[in-house]
Amino acid sequence: MPELPTNQIVPTARLDGDTIIAAVRGEIDLHNSPALRTALLGAVNKYHPKKIILNLDLVPYMDSSAIAVLVETLQKLRKIGGKVVLTNLQPRVKGLLEIARLNTVFVLVADEAEAMKA
Amino acid sequence: MTAPPVKLRLKILSDPANLAAVRLAIEALCQENGMKKEASDEVGLCVNEALANVIRHAYNKAANRPIEITAEFRDDAVRIAIRDWGNGVNPEKLPPQPYDPLRPGGLGLICLLKMMNHVQFTPQPDGMLLEMTRNK
Repeated sequence: MPELPTNQIVPTARLDGDTIIAAVRGEIDLHNSPALRTALLGAVNKYHPKKIILNLDLVPYMDSSAIAVLVETLQKLRKIGGKVVLTNLQPRVKGLLEIARLNTVFVLVADEAEAMKA
Repeated sequence: MTAPPVKLRLKILSDPANLAAVRLAIEALCQENGMKKEASDEVGLCVNEALANVIRHAYNKAANRPIEITAEFRDDAVRIAIRDWGNGVNPEKLPPQPYDPLRPGGLGLICLLKMMNHVQFTPQPDGMLLEMTRNK
């Protein structure tokens, strides 16, 4: 299974068929959301996945700039009929997704095993 | 006997690298004064969003402009003031647009209006003063 380029905010990423499975790490705000954007959109543009699974277990906090990166990634994938699946959400992140009314736009599941089936 | 108000005053530059430190300081102030974690988390997020809006919109992403933040715990509420010297545009006065979760923008203000008990933008001759209050 090929490993993909990573950075501090996306410490692990791999390609499984046409699915990218990546972990995201840290508190994400306007300061470091550009690094998240670079990693995610870079992977989308390079590998054209049908599905991206983002494990947010190590993300205790994100703000609207991080949400905007997730939405931009989703929009890119939707153009080719793909989807973004978010797993292992911490309460604070889940709460912000609900306020943003994005909890029904992204696929939210408990863990990576469930995400692979989604 | 009423405890004296606890006040925090911070002066920062409009560099996004400063956001986390301010947010964490405000959250700590709230929790030290008996606010529950969920509520103090929401206050922290609102401060983050307000500062990010200043950086993005009032200062057009310039990283070297001043921002002053004061936070005071009084009468079982945290009162936060954020002063900038930017373009003075009041986001509440912009033409209303229906919120579309798939379009960028607007989420920060939604958080403020949903999570804080009181939000007021007061244009200044040379910028903007945002005052927000959250009850304990």
